[in-house]
Amino acid sequence: MNILTLLQNLDRRWLYALLLLTVTVPFFLKIRLPVTVSPPTQKLYDKIESMPEGSFVLFGVDWGPGTRGENGAQTEVMMRHLMQRKIRFALLAFAPEPSVLCQNIAVKLQKEYNETHPEYGVQEGVTWVNWGYKVDQVNILKALVRDVPATVSADVHNHTIADLPVMKGIHSAKDISLILNVNPTASYQAYIQFVQGPYKIPMGLAPTAVMAPETYTYLDSGQLVGMLNGLQGAIEYEQLLGVIGRATVDSNSLSFAHLLIISLILLGNIAMLLERSQRARAGGAR
Amino acid sequence: MNWISANKEAIGLWIGAICTLGLYSVLYKENKLYRLFEHIFLGLATGFGVAATWNEVLKPKWWEPIWVKGQWWWILTLVAGLLYYFIYSRKYNWLARAMIGFFLGVASGQSFQGFVNDLWPQIRTSFKPLIPHALIAKTADHPAIKAVTLPDAINNLIFMVTLLCVMSYFFFSFEQKHPVQKGMAKMGRWLMMFTFGAIFGSTIMARLALLIDRMDYLLNDFGPRIGGPVVMFGLLMALTVLLLVLVTAQKQQTDAETE
Repeated sequence: MNILTLLQNLDRRWLYALLLLTVTVPFFLKIRLPVTVSPPTQKLYDKIESMPEGSFVLFGVDWGPGTRGENGAQTEVMMRHLMQRKIRFALLAFAPEPSVLCQNIAVKLQKEYNETHPEYGVQEGVTWVNWGYKVDQVNILKALVRDVPATVSADVHNHTIADLPVMKGIHSAKDISLILNVNPTASYQAYIQFVQGPYKIPMGLAPTAVMAPETYTYLDSGQLVGMLNGLQGAIEYEQLLGVIGRATVDSNSLSFAHLLIISLILLGNIAMLLERSQRARAGGAR
Repeated sequence: MNWISANKEAIGLWIGAICTLGLYSVLYKENKLYRLFEHIFLGLATGFGVAATWNEVLKPKWWEPIWVKGQWWWILTLVAGLLYYFIYSRKYNWLARAMIGFFLGVASGQSFQGFVNDLWPQIRTSFKPLIPHALIAKTADHPAIKAVTLPDAINNLIFMVTLLCVMSYFFFSFEQKHPVQKGMAKMGRWLMMFTFGAIFGSTIMARLALLIDRMDYLLNDFGPRIGGPVVMFGLLMALTVLLLVLVTAQKQQTDAETE
Protein backbone atom coordinates (compact mmCIF):
# COMPACT_ATOMS: atom_id res chain seq x y z
CA MET A 1 0.00 0.00 0.00
CA ASN A 2 1.58 3.29 -1.03
CA ILE A 3 1.35 6.55 0.91
CA LEU A 4 -1.46 7.95 -1.27
CA THR A 5 -3.72 4.95 -0.71
CA LEU A 6 -2.87 5.03 2.99
CA LEU A 7 -3.90 8.70 3.24
CA GLN A 8 -7.13 8.04 1.38
CA ASN A 9 -8.05 5.08 3.60
CA LEU A 10 -6.83 6.45 6.94
CA ASP A 11 -9.22 5.60 9.76
CA ARG A 12 -10.90 8.78 10.99
CA ARG A 13 -9.93 7.96 14.59
CA TRP A 14 -6.26 8.61 13.78
CA LEU A 15 -7.30 12.13 12.81
CA TYR A 16 -9.21 12.51 16.08
CA ALA A 17 -6.06 11.49 17.97
CA LEU A 18 -4.00 13.99 15.99
CA LEU A 19 -6.56 16.73 16.73
CA LEU A 20 -6.53 15.88 20.43
CA LEU A 21 -2.76 16.16 20.47
CA THR A 22 -2.86 19.47 18.57
CA VAL A 23 -5.41 20.94 20.94
CA THR A 24 -3.84 19.79 24.23
CA VAL A 25 -0.09 20.33 23.64
CA PRO A 26 -0.41 24.15 23.15
CA PHE A 27 -1.67 24.46 26.75
CA PHE A 28 1.89 23.69 27.85
CA LEU A 29 3.59 26.13 25.45
CA LYS A 30 4.83 29.46 26.72
CA ILE A 31 4.61 31.21 23.34
CA ARG A 32 1.65 33.40 22.40
CA LEU A 33 0.75 33.52 18.73
CA PRO A 34 -0.07 37.03 17.45
CA VAL A 35 -3.74 38.07 17.41
CA THR A 36 -5.12 40.60 14.93
CA VAL A 37 -8.19 42.44 16.17
CA SER A 38 -11.03 42.42 13.64
CA PRO A 39 -13.09 45.62 13.00
CA PRO A 40 -16.36 44.30 14.59
CA THR A 41 -14.54 43.50 17.86
CA GLN A 42 -12.73 46.84 17.81
CA LYS A 43 -16.01 48.71 17.28
CA LEU A 44 -17.71 47.03 20.22
CA TYR A 45 -14.71 47.74 22.43
CA ASP A 46 -14.65 51.38 21.32
CA LYS A 47 -18.38 51.74 22.01
CA ILE A 48 -18.06 50.52 25.61
CA GLU A 49 -14.89 52.56 26.05
CA SER A 50 -16.73 55.72 24.98
CA MET A 51 -19.62 55.27 27.43
CA PRO A 52 -19.62 57.46 30.53
CA GLU A 53 -19.17 55.91 33.96
CA GLY A 54 -22.47 54.85 35.53
CA SER A 55 -24.21 54.20 32.18
CA PHE A 56 -26.64 51.29 32.18
CA VAL A 57 -26.29 48.20 29.94
CA LEU A 58 -28.96 45.57 29.34
CA PHE A 59 -26.88 42.39 29.18
CA GLY A 60 -28.91 39.60 27.53
CA VAL A 61 -27.42 36.15 28.14
CA ASP A 62 -29.08 33.28 26.30
CA TRP A 63 -26.50 30.50 26.20
CA GLY A 64 -26.20 27.16 27.96
CA PRO A 65 -23.51 24.63 28.85
CA GLY A 66 -23.45 23.35 25.24
CA THR A 67 -21.80 26.54 23.95
CA ARG A 68 -19.87 27.50 27.10
CA GLY A 69 -16.59 27.16 25.18
CA GLU A 70 -17.45 30.23 23.10
CA ASN A 71 -20.19 32.14 24.91
CA GLY A 72 -18.67 31.71 28.38
CA ALA A 73 -15.46 33.44 27.33
CA GLN A 74 -17.39 36.20 25.51
CA THR A 75 -19.60 36.88 28.54
CA GLU A 76 -16.64 36.97 30.89
CA VAL A 77 -14.55 39.38 28.83
CA MET A 78 -17.41 41.83 28.25
CA MET A 79 -18.34 41.74 31.94
CA ARG A 80 -14.71 42.50 32.77
CA HIS A 81 -14.79 45.57 30.56
CA LEU A 82 -18.07 46.84 32.06
CA MET A 83 -16.77 46.32 35.60
CA GLN A 84 -13.47 48.04 34.80
CA ARG A 85 -15.27 50.99 33.25
CA LYS A 86 -17.70 51.18 36.24
CA ILE A 87 -20.66 50.75 33.91
CA ARG A 88 -23.79 49.30 35.52
CA PHE A 89 -25.39 46.24 33.93
CA ALA A 90 -28.37 43.94 34.33
CA LEU A 91 -28.27 40.28 33.29
CA LEU A 92 -31.40 38.99 31.62
CA ALA A 93 -31.88 35.39 30.43
CA PHE A 94 -34.56 33.80 28.27
CA ALA A 95 -33.30 30.28 28.99
CA PRO A 96 -33.01 28.63 32.41
CA GLU A 97 -29.28 27.82 32.49
CA PRO A 98 -27.60 31.16 31.65
CA SER A 99 -29.13 32.89 34.63
CA VAL A 100 -27.13 30.58 36.92
CA LEU A 101 -24.02 30.29 34.70
CA CYS A 102 -23.65 34.06 34.30
CA GLN A 103 -24.38 34.74 37.98
CA ASN A 104 -21.39 32.48 38.74
CA ILE A 105 -19.17 34.36 36.27
CA ALA A 106 -20.20 37.76 37.67
CA VAL A 107 -19.67 36.64 41.28
CA LYS A 108 -16.24 35.20 40.38
CA LEU A 109 -15.17 38.46 38.69
CA GLN A 110 -16.60 40.53 41.57
CA LYS A 111 -14.49 38.53 44.03
CA GLU A 112 -11.40 38.89 41.82
CA TYR A 113 -11.79 42.65 41.36
CA ASN A 114 -12.59 43.28 45.01
CA GLU A 115 -9.25 41.64 45.85
CA THR A 116 -7.15 43.17 43.06
CA HIS A 117 -8.94 46.45 42.20
CA PRO A 118 -11.20 47.55 45.06
CA GLU A 119 -11.37 51.00 43.42
CA TYR A 120 -13.79 49.59 40.80
CA GLY A 121 -16.31 49.08 43.61
CA VAL A 122 -17.92 46.06 41.98
CA GLN A 123 -20.89 44.94 44.07
CA GLU A 124 -24.02 43.01 43.24
CA GLY A 125 -27.06 45.23 43.61
CA VAL A 126 -24.94 48.38 43.31
CA THR A 127 -23.03 48.00 40.03
CA TRP A 128 -24.75 44.94 38.59
CA VAL A 129 -27.90 42.90 39.02
CA ASN A 130 -29.24 39.60 37.74
CA TRP A 131 -32.86 39.90 36.65
CA GLY A 132 -32.95 36.12 36.21
CA TYR A 133 -34.77 33.82 33.84
CA LYS A 134 -37.89 35.01 32.05
CA VAL A 135 -40.17 33.29 29.57
CA ASP A 136 -41.89 34.76 26.49
CA GLN A 137 -38.98 36.81 25.14
CA VAL A 138 -40.91 39.08 22.77
CA ASN A 139 -43.58 40.19 25.23
CA ILE A 140 -41.13 40.64 28.09
CA LEU A 141 -38.91 42.84 25.89
CA LYS A 142 -41.88 44.87 24.67
CA ALA A 143 -43.06 45.45 28.24
CA LEU A 144 -39.54 46.06 29.55
CA VAL A 145 -38.83 48.99 27.29
CA ARG A 146 -41.94 50.78 28.57
CA ASP A 147 -41.62 50.05 32.28
CA VAL A 148 -38.61 48.18 33.66
CA PRO A 149 -39.53 47.92 37.39
CA ALA A 150 -43.07 46.73 36.58
CA THR A 151 -41.83 44.06 34.16
CA VAL A 152 -38.90 42.78 36.21
CA SER A 153 -40.19 43.17 39.73
CA ALA A 154 -37.42 41.23 41.53
CA ASP A 155 -33.88 39.96 40.96
CA VAL A 156 -32.70 36.36 41.39
CA HIS A 157 -32.45 36.83 45.17
CA ASN A 158 -36.04 38.10 45.25
CA HIS A 159 -34.98 41.67 46.09
CA THR A 160 -37.36 44.28 44.72
CA ILE A 161 -35.35 45.82 41.89
CA ALA A 162 -36.83 49.29 42.39
CA ASP A 163 -35.05 49.37 45.78
CA LEU A 164 -31.62 48.41 44.40
CA PRO A 165 -29.03 51.21 43.92
CA VAL A 166 -28.02 49.72 40.56
CA MET A 167 -31.50 50.48 39.21
CA LYS A 168 -31.47 54.14 40.23
CA GLY A 169 -32.86 56.22 37.38
CA ILE A 170 -33.67 53.20 35.20
CA HIS A 171 -37.33 53.27 34.24
CA SER A 172 -37.66 52.59 30.52
CA ALA A 173 -35.79 52.06 27.24
CA LYS A 174 -34.55 55.64 27.12
CA ASP A 175 -32.43 54.96 30.24
CA ILE A 176 -30.60 52.04 28.63
CA SER A 177 -27.34 53.11 26.96
CA LEU A 178 -26.40 49.82 25.29
CA ILE A 179 -27.75 46.32 24.73
CA LEU A 180 -25.33 43.40 24.78
CA ASN A 181 -26.53 39.95 23.82
CA VAL A 182 -24.52 36.74 24.08
CA ASN A 183 -26.55 34.30 22.06
CA PRO A 184 -25.86 31.03 20.20
CA THR A 185 -29.23 31.13 18.37
CA ALA A 186 -31.16 33.54 16.15
CA SER A 187 -33.24 34.84 19.07
CA TYR A 188 -30.96 37.91 19.22
CA GLN A 189 -33.23 39.18 16.44
CA ALA A 190 -35.98 39.82 19.03
CA TYR A 191 -33.71 42.43 20.64
CA ILE A 192 -33.18 44.08 17.23
CA GLN A 193 -36.86 43.91 16.30
CA PHE A 194 -38.44 45.09 19.53
CA VAL A 195 -35.78 47.09 21.41
CA GLN A 196 -32.88 48.24 19.25
CA GLY A 197 -34.96 49.11 16.17
CA PRO A 198 -37.92 50.99 17.68
CA TYR A 199 -35.93 52.79 20.42
CA LYS A 200 -32.63 53.28 18.53
CA ILE A 201 -30.54 51.82 21.36
CA PRO A 202 -27.03 50.75 20.25
CA MET A 203 -26.56 46.99 20.38
CA GLY A 204 -23.55 44.67 20.45
CA LEU A 205 -23.76 40.95 19.76
CA ALA A 206 -21.65 37.94 20.74
CA PRO A 207 -22.83 34.96 18.68
CA THR A 208 -21.15 31.58 18.26
CA ALA A 209 -18.91 31.30 15.21
CA VAL A 210 -21.59 29.22 13.46
CA MET A 211 -24.05 32.10 13.70
CA ALA A 212 -21.59 34.92 13.02
CA PRO A 213 -21.62 34.96 9.17
CA GLU A 214 -25.32 35.77 9.01
CA THR A 215 -24.99 38.67 11.45
CA TYR A 216 -22.66 40.71 9.22
CA THR A 217 -25.68 42.22 7.44
CA TYR A 218 -26.74 43.76 10.76
CA LEU A 219 -23.28 45.26 11.19
CA ASP A 220 -23.38 46.69 7.69
CA SER A 221 -26.79 48.27 8.27
CA GLY A 222 -25.68 49.79 11.58
CA GLN A 223 -28.21 47.78 13.62
CA LEU A 224 -25.25 46.33 15.50
CA VAL A 225 -22.43 48.56 16.67
CA GLY A 226 -20.02 45.64 16.99
CA MET A 227 -19.70 41.89 17.33
CA LEU A 228 -17.53 39.21 18.91
CA ASN A 229 -17.19 36.29 16.50
CA GLY A 230 -17.13 33.17 18.67
CA LEU A 231 -14.06 32.30 20.73
CA GLN A 232 -11.85 34.27 18.31
CA GLY A 233 -13.84 37.42 19.15
CA ALA A 234 -13.31 36.82 22.87
CA ILE A 235 -9.56 36.33 22.29
CA GLU A 236 -9.39 39.62 20.37
CA TYR A 237 -11.35 41.43 23.09
CA GLU A 238 -9.03 40.13 25.82
CA GLN A 239 -6.13 41.40 23.71
CA LEU A 240 -7.74 44.87 23.64
CA LEU A 241 -8.41 44.80 27.37
CA GLY A 242 -4.88 43.59 28.07
CA VAL A 243 -6.00 40.66 30.21
CA ILE A 244 -5.01 37.02 29.99
CA GLY A 245 -8.30 35.27 30.55
CA ARG A 246 -9.74 31.94 29.54
CA ALA A 247 -9.97 32.90 25.85
CA THR A 248 -6.30 33.88 25.61
CA VAL A 249 -5.28 30.62 27.31
CA ASP A 250 -7.28 28.76 24.65
CA SER A 251 -6.02 30.88 21.72
CA ASN A 252 -2.90 28.81 20.95
CA SER A 253 -4.96 25.62 20.77
CA LEU A 254 -7.40 27.27 18.37
CA SER A 255 -4.63 28.53 16.08
CA PHE A 256 -2.83 25.16 16.01
CA ALA A 257 -6.10 23.31 15.42
CA HIS A 258 -6.86 25.62 12.46
CA LEU A 259 -3.41 24.90 11.01
CA LEU A 260 -4.02 21.16 11.37
CA ILE A 261 -7.43 21.31 9.68
CA ILE A 262 -6.06 23.40 6.78
CA SER A 263 -3.10 21.01 6.38
CA LEU A 264 -5.39 17.97 6.39
CA ILE A 265 -7.71 19.52 3.79
CA LEU A 266 -4.74 20.29 1.54
CA LEU A 267 -3.15 16.89 2.10
CA GLY A 268 -6.40 15.03 1.50
CA ASN A 269 -7.05 16.88 -1.75
CA ILE A 270 -3.49 16.49 -3.02
CA ALA A 271 -3.60 12.75 -2.24
CA MET A 272 -6.94 12.41 -4.02
CA LEU A 273 -5.73 14.28 -7.13
CA LEU A 274 -2.45 12.34 -7.32
CA GLU A 275 -4.24 9.03 -6.86
CA ARG A 276 -6.69 9.96 -9.62
CA SER A 277 -3.88 10.90 -12.03
CA GLN A 278 -2.02 7.64 -11.16
CA ARG A 279 -5.18 5.66 -11.87
CA ALA A 280 -5.71 7.52 -15.15
CA ARG A 281 -2.13 6.77 -16.21
CA ALA A 282 -2.51 3.11 -15.27
CA GLY A 283 -5.78 2.96 -17.23
CA GLY A 284 -4.08 4.54 -20.29
CA ALA A 285 -1.22 2.00 -20.15
CA ARG A 286 -3.64 -0.90 -20.21
CA MET B 1 -24.17 15.13 54.10
CA ASN B 2 -21.39 17.12 55.76
CA TRP B 3 -18.80 15.28 53.65
CA ILE B 4 -20.75 16.14 50.48
CA SER B 5 -21.01 19.82 51.48
CA ALA B 6 -17.31 19.95 52.33
CA ASN B 7 -16.28 18.33 49.04
CA LYS B 8 -18.91 19.88 46.75
CA GLU B 9 -16.38 21.42 44.39
CA ALA B 10 -14.26 18.26 44.10
CA ILE B 11 -17.33 16.10 43.47
CA GLY B 12 -18.47 18.48 40.74
CA LEU B 13 -15.07 18.37 39.05
CA TRP B 14 -14.92 14.55 39.16
CA ILE B 15 -18.46 14.22 37.76
CA GLY B 16 -17.63 16.76 35.03
CA ALA B 17 -14.46 14.89 34.04
CA ILE B 18 -16.12 11.45 34.02
CA CYS B 19 -19.05 12.77 31.97
CA THR B 20 -16.71 14.48 29.48
CA LEU B 21 -14.66 11.32 28.93
CA GLY B 22 -17.81 9.20 28.78
CA LEU B 23 -19.34 11.42 26.09
CA TYR B 24 -16.13 11.55 24.05
CA SER B 25 -15.98 7.72 24.08
CA VAL B 26 -18.37 7.92 21.09
CA LEU B 27 -15.36 8.98 19.00
CA TYR B 28 -14.11 5.38 19.25
CA LYS B 29 -17.49 3.91 18.45
CA GLU B 30 -21.12 3.99 19.55
CA ASN B 31 -21.28 2.43 23.04
CA LYS B 32 -23.50 2.07 26.08
CA LEU B 33 -21.37 4.33 28.27
CA TYR B 34 -21.84 7.17 25.79
CA ARG B 35 -25.61 6.50 25.66
CA LEU B 36 -25.80 6.54 29.46
CA PHE B 37 -24.10 9.93 29.75
CA GLU B 38 -26.09 11.33 26.84
CA HIS B 39 -29.34 10.42 28.59
CA ILE B 40 -28.11 11.77 31.91
CA PHE B 41 -27.24 15.07 30.22
CA LEU B 42 -30.62 15.33 28.50
CA GLY B 43 -32.48 14.34 31.67
CA LEU B 44 -30.58 16.87 33.77
CA ALA B 45 -31.20 19.66 31.25
CA THR B 46 -34.92 18.87 31.16
CA GLY B 47 -35.19 18.59 34.94
CA PHE B 48 -33.26 21.82 35.43
CA GLY B 49 -35.52 23.57 32.91
CA VAL B 50 -38.70 22.41 34.66
CA ALA B 51 -37.39 23.40 38.11
CA ALA B 52 -36.19 26.81 36.89
CA THR B 53 -39.48 27.51 35.11
CA TRP B 54 -41.43 26.69 38.27
CA ASN B 55 -39.14 28.54 40.70
CA GLU B 56 -38.41 31.64 38.63
CA VAL B 57 -41.57 32.04 36.55
CA LEU B 58 -44.66 30.05 37.51
CA LYS B 59 -44.31 30.27 41.30
CA PRO B 60 -43.68 34.04 41.63
CA LYS B 61 -45.79 35.12 38.64
CA TRP B 62 -48.73 32.71 38.79
CA TRP B 63 -48.96 30.47 41.89
CA GLU B 64 -48.23 33.11 44.54
CA PRO B 65 -50.53 35.79 43.03
CA ILE B 66 -53.40 33.27 43.18
CA TRP B 67 -52.80 31.72 46.60
CA VAL B 68 -50.92 34.45 48.48
CA LYS B 69 -52.24 37.69 47.00
CA GLY B 70 -55.73 36.38 46.23
CA GLN B 71 -55.59 37.38 42.55
CA TRP B 72 -57.93 34.54 41.56
CA TRP B 73 -58.28 35.66 37.93
CA TRP B 74 -54.86 34.23 37.11
CA ILE B 75 -56.58 30.81 37.22
CA LEU B 76 -58.11 31.71 33.83
CA THR B 77 -54.68 31.28 32.22
CA LEU B 78 -54.72 27.63 33.32
CA VAL B 79 -58.17 27.21 31.77
CA ALA B 80 -56.91 28.77 28.53
CA GLY B 81 -53.90 26.45 28.56
CA LEU B 82 -56.03 23.38 29.19
CA LEU B 83 -58.17 24.21 26.15
CA TYR B 84 -55.23 23.10 23.98
CA TYR B 85 -55.87 19.51 25.11
CA PHE B 86 -59.26 19.50 23.35
CA ILE B 87 -57.21 18.83 20.22
CA TYR B 88 -57.70 15.14 21.18
CA SER B 89 -61.50 15.44 21.17
CA ARG B 90 -63.34 15.16 17.85
CA LYS B 91 -66.39 16.95 19.19
CA TYR B 92 -64.72 19.85 20.98
CA ASN B 93 -61.45 20.33 19.11
CA TRP B 94 -62.74 23.71 17.92
CA LEU B 95 -61.87 24.96 21.43
CA ALA B 96 -58.22 24.06 20.85
CA ARG B 97 -58.36 25.62 17.37
CA ALA B 98 -59.74 28.85 18.89
CA MET B 99 -56.73 29.08 21.22
CA ILE B 100 -54.28 28.22 18.44
CA GLY B 101 -55.94 30.82 16.19
CA PHE B 102 -55.72 33.47 18.90
CA PHE B 103 -52.02 32.95 19.50
CA LEU B 104 -51.29 32.65 15.77
CA GLY B 105 -52.89 36.08 15.38
CA VAL B 106 -50.75 37.53 18.16
CA ALA B 107 -47.60 35.99 16.70
CA SER B 108 -48.46 37.25 13.19
CA GLY B 109 -48.90 40.81 14.41
CA GLN B 110 -45.59 40.67 16.24
CA SER B 111 -43.85 39.14 13.23
CA PHE B 112 -44.99 42.01 11.03
CA GLN B 113 -43.60 44.57 13.47
CA GLY B 114 -40.43 42.52 13.81
CA PHE B 115 -40.03 42.18 10.05
CA VAL B 116 -40.15 45.94 9.54
CA ASN B 117 -37.64 46.69 12.30
CA ASP B 118 -35.39 43.83 11.25
CA LEU B 119 -35.20 44.13 7.47
CA TRP B 120 -36.09 47.70 6.59
CA PRO B 121 -32.75 49.18 7.78
CA GLN B 122 -30.97 46.50 5.73
CA ILE B 123 -32.96 47.32 2.60
CA ARG B 124 -32.27 51.03 3.09
CA THR B 125 -28.52 50.54 3.51
CA SER B 126 -28.38 48.31 0.43
CA PHE B 127 -28.40 51.49 -1.66
CA LYS B 128 -24.73 52.31 -1.52
CA PRO B 129 -22.76 55.07 -3.25
CA LEU B 130 -20.59 53.77 -6.09
CA ILE B 131 -18.79 57.01 -6.97
CA PRO B 132 -16.01 58.31 -4.67
CA HIS B 133 -16.60 61.80 -3.26
CA ALA B 134 -15.40 64.06 -0.46
CA LEU B 135 -17.36 64.87 2.68
CA ILE B 136 -20.54 66.80 1.87
CA ALA B 137 -21.24 69.32 4.61
CA LYS B 138 -24.55 69.55 6.41
CA THR B 139 -26.97 72.14 5.04
CA ALA B 140 -30.50 73.18 5.86
CA ASP B 141 -31.84 70.75 3.24
CA HIS B 142 -29.81 67.62 4.01
CA PRO B 143 -27.61 66.14 6.76
CA ALA B 144 -23.85 65.70 6.34
CA ILE B 145 -22.88 62.89 3.96
CA LYS B 146 -19.65 61.10 4.83
CA ALA B 147 -16.84 60.81 2.30
CA VAL B 148 -16.58 57.78 0.01
CA THR B 149 -13.00 56.77 -0.75
CA LEU B 150 -11.97 54.67 -3.76
CA PRO B 151 -11.64 51.46 -1.65
CA ASP B 152 -15.11 52.17 -0.17
CA ALA B 153 -16.54 52.55 -3.67
CA ILE B 154 -14.95 49.26 -4.82
CA ASN B 155 -16.28 47.54 -1.70
CA ASN B 156 -19.75 48.94 -2.38
CA LEU B 157 -19.55 47.77 -6.00
CA ILE B 158 -18.72 44.23 -4.88
CA PHE B 159 -21.65 44.41 -2.47
CA MET B 160 -24.05 45.58 -5.21
CA VAL B 161 -22.87 42.94 -7.71
CA THR B 162 -23.23 40.22 -5.05
CA LEU B 163 -26.69 41.43 -4.06
CA LEU B 164 -28.01 41.60 -7.63
CA CYS B 165 -26.47 38.28 -8.73
CA VAL B 166 -27.76 36.35 -5.71
CA MET B 167 -31.21 37.90 -6.04
CA SER B 168 -31.32 37.05 -9.74
CA TYR B 169 -30.59 33.39 -8.88
CA PHE B 170 -33.81 33.33 -6.83
CA PHE B 171 -35.92 35.01 -9.52
CA PHE B 172 -38.28 32.25 -10.61
CA SER B 173 -41.14 34.30 -12.12
CA PHE B 174 -40.04 33.51 -15.68
CA GLU B 175 -37.48 31.29 -17.35
CA GLN B 176 -34.04 32.86 -17.48
CA LYS B 177 -33.01 32.54 -21.14
CA HIS B 178 -30.94 35.64 -21.82
CA PRO B 179 -27.15 35.05 -21.47
CA VAL B 180 -26.86 38.04 -19.08
CA GLN B 181 -29.58 36.65 -16.81
CA LYS B 182 -28.06 33.18 -16.94
CA GLY B 183 -24.58 34.57 -16.22
CA MET B 184 -25.81 36.60 -13.26
CA ALA B 185 -27.67 33.63 -11.80
CA LYS B 186 -24.60 31.42 -12.21
CA MET B 187 -22.43 34.07 -10.59
CA GLY B 188 -25.00 34.32 -7.78
CA ARG B 189 -24.70 30.60 -7.19
CA TRP B 190 -20.90 30.84 -6.98
CA LEU B 191 -21.09 33.77 -4.58
CA MET B 192 -23.44 31.80 -2.35
CA MET B 193 -20.95 28.93 -2.42
CA PHE B 194 -18.30 31.31 -1.05
CA THR B 195 -20.72 32.24 1.74
CA PHE B 196 -21.46 28.61 2.53
CA GLY B 197 -17.71 28.00 2.63
CA ALA B 198 -17.34 30.83 5.16
CA ILE B 199 -20.19 29.40 7.23
CA PHE B 200 -18.62 25.92 7.09
CA GLY B 201 -15.26 27.34 8.18
CA SER B 202 -16.94 29.17 11.05
CA THR B 203 -18.73 25.98 12.05
CA ILE B 204 -15.41 24.16 12.30
CA MET B 205 -14.05 26.99 14.44
CA ALA B 206 -17.11 26.79 16.70
CA ARG B 207 -16.78 23.04 17.17
CA LEU B 208 -13.06 23.35 17.86
CA ALA B 209 -13.79 25.98 20.50
CA LEU B 210 -16.10 23.55 22.29
CA LEU B 211 -13.45 20.80 22.19
CA ILE B 212 -10.80 23.23 23.47
CA ASP B 213 -13.08 24.27 26.34
CA ARG B 214 -13.48 20.64 27.41
CA MET B 215 -9.73 20.00 27.19
CA ASP B 216 -9.09 23.20 29.16
CA TYR B 217 -11.49 21.85 31.79
CA LEU B 218 -9.84 18.43 31.93
CA LEU B 219 -6.27 19.79 32.04
CA ASN B 220 -6.55 22.98 34.06
CA ASP B 221 -9.69 22.59 36.19
CA PHE B 222 -9.79 18.85 36.84
CA GLY B 223 -6.06 18.15 36.27
CA PRO B 224 -4.87 19.56 39.64
CA ARG B 225 -7.15 17.02 41.40
CA ILE B 226 -5.10 14.10 40.09
CA GLY B 227 -1.61 15.55 40.26
CA GLY B 228 -1.61 18.39 37.73
CA PRO B 229 -2.28 19.12 34.05
CA VAL B 230 0.70 17.02 32.93
CA VAL B 231 -0.67 13.91 34.66
CA MET B 232 -4.07 14.50 33.05
CA PHE B 233 -2.37 14.98 29.68
CA GLY B 234 -0.51 11.69 30.17
CA LEU B 235 -3.78 9.96 31.06
CA LEU B 236 -5.49 11.35 27.95
CA MET B 237 -2.62 10.23 25.72
CA ALA B 238 -2.61 6.77 27.31
CA LEU B 239 -6.34 6.44 26.64
CA THR B 240 -5.83 7.61 23.05
CA VAL B 241 -3.02 5.13 22.41
CA LEU B 242 -5.15 2.33 23.88
CA LEU B 243 -8.02 3.24 21.56
CA LEU B 244 -5.70 3.41 18.53
CA VAL B 245 -4.32 -0.04 19.37
CA LEU B 246 -7.90 -1.31 19.50
CA VAL B 247 -8.69 0.39 16.16
CA THR B 248 -5.62 -1.17 14.51
CA ALA B 249 -6.38 -4.64 15.91
CA GLN B 250 -9.97 -4.36 14.73
CA LYS B 251 -8.83 -3.35 11.24
CA GLN B 252 -6.33 -6.21 11.02
CA GLN B 253 -9.05 -8.65 12.04
CA THR B 254 -11.42 -7.27 9.41
CA ASP B 255 -8.70 -7.43 6.71
CA ALA B 256 -7.88 -11.03 7.66
CA GLU B 257 -11.57 -11.99 7.50
CA THR B 258 -11.91 -10.32 4.08
CA GLU B 259 -8.90 -12.18 2.69
